[in-house]
Amino acid sequence: MKKILALVLALAMVFALAACGGTAAPKASEAPAATEAPAEESPAAEEAPAAEEAAPAEEAAPAEEAAPAEEAAPAEEAAPAEEAAPAEEAAPAEEAPAAEEAAAEEPAAEEAPAAEEVAAEAGASSIAVCLASEPDTLDPALNSAVDGATLVSHLFSGLAKWAQDDTGALVIVPDAATELVEGVQNEDGTVTYTYTLRDGMKWSDGKDVTAADFAFAWQRAASVELGADYGYMFEVIDGYDDVWADEPAEDAQLNVKAIDDKTLEVTLANAVSYWNELLAFPTYFPVREDVVADEGWATDPSTYVCNGAYTMTGWNHNSLITLEKNANYVDADKILMDKIEFYLSDDANNQLSNFKNGTWQLIDDVPTNEIAALKADYPDEFKVEGQIGTYYVCWNVNEDILPEGSELEGAEAEAAKAEIRNAISLIFDRNYIVDEIAQGGQVPASSFVAMGMTNPDGTQFYQTAGSSEDFDGYYNVSADALEDNFTQAIEVLKKYYDYDETTGQFSGFPTLTYLYNTSEGHKAIGEYLQSALAGIGITMNLENQEWATFLNTRKNGDYSIARNGWLADYNDPICFLDMWTTASGNNDVQFGKGAHKDVAAYSLDLTDLGLDVKVENGTWAETYDVLIKAIKGCTDNEVRYELMHRAEDLLMSTGCICPLYFYTDLFMLSKDVDGFFSNPLGYKYFMYCTVA
Amino acid sequence: MSSKTLKYILKRILLAIVTVWVVITVTFFVMHAVPGGPFMGEKAISAAAQAALEAKYGLDKPLLQQYFTYLKDIVTRFDFGPSLKQRGRMVIDIIADGMKTSARLGVVAACLAAVIGIPLGAVAALRRNKLIDKIIMVVTTAFVSMPSFIMGSLLLVVFAIRLAWLPANGSTAEGLILPIITLALYPMAYITRLTRSSMLDVLGQDYIRTAKAKGVSGVKIIFGHALKNSLIPVITYFGPMLAYIVTGSLVVEQIFAVPGIGRAFVSSITNRDYPMVMGTTIVLAVLIVVMNLVSDILYKVVDPRINLE
Repeated sequence: MKKILALVLALAMVFALAACGGTAAPKASEAPAATEAPAEESPAAEEAPAAEEAAPAEEAAPAEEAAPAEEAAPAEEAAPAEEAAPAEEAAPAEEAPAAEEAAAEEPAAEEAPAAEEVAAEAGASSIAVCLASEPDTLDPALNSAVDGATLVSHLFSGLAKWAQDDTGALVIVPDAATELVEGVQNEDGTVTYTYTLRDGMKWSDGKDVTAADFAFAWQRAASVELGADYGYMFEVIDGYDDVWADEPAEDAQLNVKAIDDKTLEVTLANAVSYWNELLAFPTYFPVREDVVADEGWATDPSTYVCNGAYTMTGWNHNSLITLEKNANYVDADKILMDKIEFYLSDDANNQLSNFKNGTWQLIDDVPTNEIAALKADYPDEFKVEGQIGTYYVCWNVNEDILPEGSELEGAEAEAAKAEIRNAISLIFDRNYIVDEIAQGGQVPASSFVAMGMTNPDGTQFYQTAGSSEDFDGYYNVSADALEDNFTQAIEVLKKYYDYDETTGQFSGFPTLTYLYNTSEGHKAIGEYLQSALAGIGITMNLENQEWATFLNTRKNGDYSIARNGWLADYNDPICFLDMWTTASGNNDVQFGKGAHKDVAAYSLDLTDLGLDVKVENGTWAETYDVLIKAIKGCTDNEVRYELMHRAEDLLMSTGCICPLYFYTDLFMLSKDVDGFFSNPLGYKYFMYCTVA
Repeated sequence: MSSKTLKYILKRILLAIVTVWVVITVTFFVMHAVPGGPFMGEKAISAAAQAALEAKYGLDKPLLQQYFTYLKDIVTRFDFGPSLKQRGRMVIDIIADGMKTSARLGVVAACLAAVIGIPLGAVAALRRNKLIDKIIMVVTTAFVSMPSFIMGSLLLVVFAIRLAWLPANGSTAEGLILPIITLALYPMAYITRLTRSSMLDVLGQDYIRTAKAKGVSGVKIIFGHALKNSLIPVITYFGPMLAYIVTGSLVVEQIFAVPGIGRAFVSSITNRDYPMVMGTTIVLAVLIVVMNLVSDILYKVVDPRINLE
């Protein structure tokens, strides 16, 4: 009945609206709802241009996910209409609640069971959430997305898992393994770990989980044939280099084997501090050989066999994935949430609509232009959590930015360019970007390795980066330092370009082009950077490209300066540092490529750390690449961290990386939900949730 | 059916096949000319993995060879291949999933548009220049000029958020009510206007006057003669319109999170999921071509005077 009424009213509303000739002239007698909406819409619409400057919500999500979201352009335009919502209480058309109240007051006997049913439904513990659109894959080995990782973490049980301790702090605890054992150092420097699987571990189809399943899953995930995005997560394991050799031997495989059904032995090339964290990473989850033989196994609930807290009971593609508690899970009695519905939508406005009307209890994306309003209207539900990632600007190292006619060459020219780039990094007001543009609780960044990465003693890596005693990282990004930074930058730039003291403008700086992927958020930041540079006479044009085209252009180095971002895969600074080696596929700056290949401008001395490496005026390959190799082969954790600090020092000295802010993870969580937690990689955990 | 009509239909079918072939060819080469690839992400995979994947999906072969293989697979086996992005799923399954929802949405919306639009248009014509005619014209003008994202958002705010009567997502049957209304309003208004003007035209014809003079009842004149003949332009419009709304409206699907083909199509382009782009393009092209053909043939059924040659 209600549906029919809704339909009729919907039509009545649009008719009434149209009868007013499309204007918002109120005709209260006809349809109050119709007049209310446009009346509130107009101020919202006026706000829209300003609000557009608001934050890039997708910044909070991994950059890869940002791509589909950006396609939502048409829907984004819909935002003003939705903004009509805030003062909803004032709506005269409150017929629904009123009617419900009337029904509730009625002492009719039939009403009682209905109410109980509702209560029972609430008690049956289910939660509806929306993280993103259809995941590309739910095969743990192939997944590389954060939303996919959340799903897979509910469906599979690896040797270790993320959990909260009694104080609420995040810890890595054993899951399928009885304990997270210490490794045994071998004579050749490799380290062997031997894990015992817990008793009673079963797959969702009832078969036993064996050590061989783990060994198989790891070999498969690291294989060339699978070509998984996260295949490199196994590079710490002995044998990985053989698998990925140019001409691999036929029997090349990872050094991992099942000793018996319960015992798994794995040998690492050398000790790594983040090994336990890797064990909790989805790529390390087990799969069964006979299950994955069907290539489409992970796309349908009927073929989806898993070993975790939940099983997949429904997948309505592009719409809804339903998980229900797995009775075969060894810790099933500890799982509080019976059913989780993952709705699939990448439209932030749509997600918000469903959150506002109470359909979904968590949404992982919010419309960029609504952030300020949401913070005010939903103070208890708008959540900002730390996320290990950095939003930055990268220069193409081969871009010539010296003034025309400069006679500097080779290493001297490179040193000058580095000085200029670093000076420009000082011009930008990161607090303005964070507070006025991004608005999502981001933290101004003064280093490339993100906040959240820790040193072995638990202190923040970024706080011990750089050499200054007065501030963290490589620049002082406090609001008070802005003026000093600016003065310092001007002094440096004066050495290279003509400066007009009266106008405060430089001349002779080549025109730059800032490349970003199409999105209002990135554009707003680009416009700020543009205006900051225009203030000192540097012209920077803005150019946006569609996501895949943008990635291609940036990877090929066909740009002068570009927007960039990086999110950590695990808590170890190396994942921010090894991407800048010459051969890395993520070396967007083009270090060691093109003309930069022969530039011998870098020095490296590691003798004080007991390593036989001393290079003066070396190329990028002779210094940075060597340094990263040394880090990867280092077994002394303290030395290793010192080496990583030095790698970042060298990287930042080039000025090619200009960090702007450290990412945060923004989401909305209903205040009725208890027991929720998320980890610094952005994975969200619902198994211990209860809904009031 | 005369041999002339048959010949005409055959000619049209041949032309349709050529049209679809041109669409396939142009899409194939343009798509491959766009920078970026299906295995490219923010975090790059190694060159060896990239090469292995390209070899697996045949993307390492020369473009022309890929083109002919693709054509052969479609023609001989109706095989659109696997999706490069949603690993493990076949393109045909993804399209079928999306089309199921989009078609349900589109057909209901189109029927709603016709069922409401035609009588409204007829009423407006018969009551020309009266108040009801004016109201109908103002309303339909508004609907024709209001973009679907405004209409959709408006319905969403009122019925899904404020009143919370209907869900704001299209994952359930209930959730399809608002998108259907949003999709139906524009064609409904258009059909109303089309029926009205065509009906006015017919009502001025000699044969109507003759019928009136012969004392045929008003009802019979309207339903027996006027309405039938005034539907020809509506039929012309209805075919492509049906194809258009059945193939999915990206905007409406985005606003209401409807798992339709429109969203799948757009994301496949962003993802450079080549087989998926090709598959959806072909299906959409075929649908539009077929709908046009059907509406052409329907002319003949409605009005035997029309010569299809």
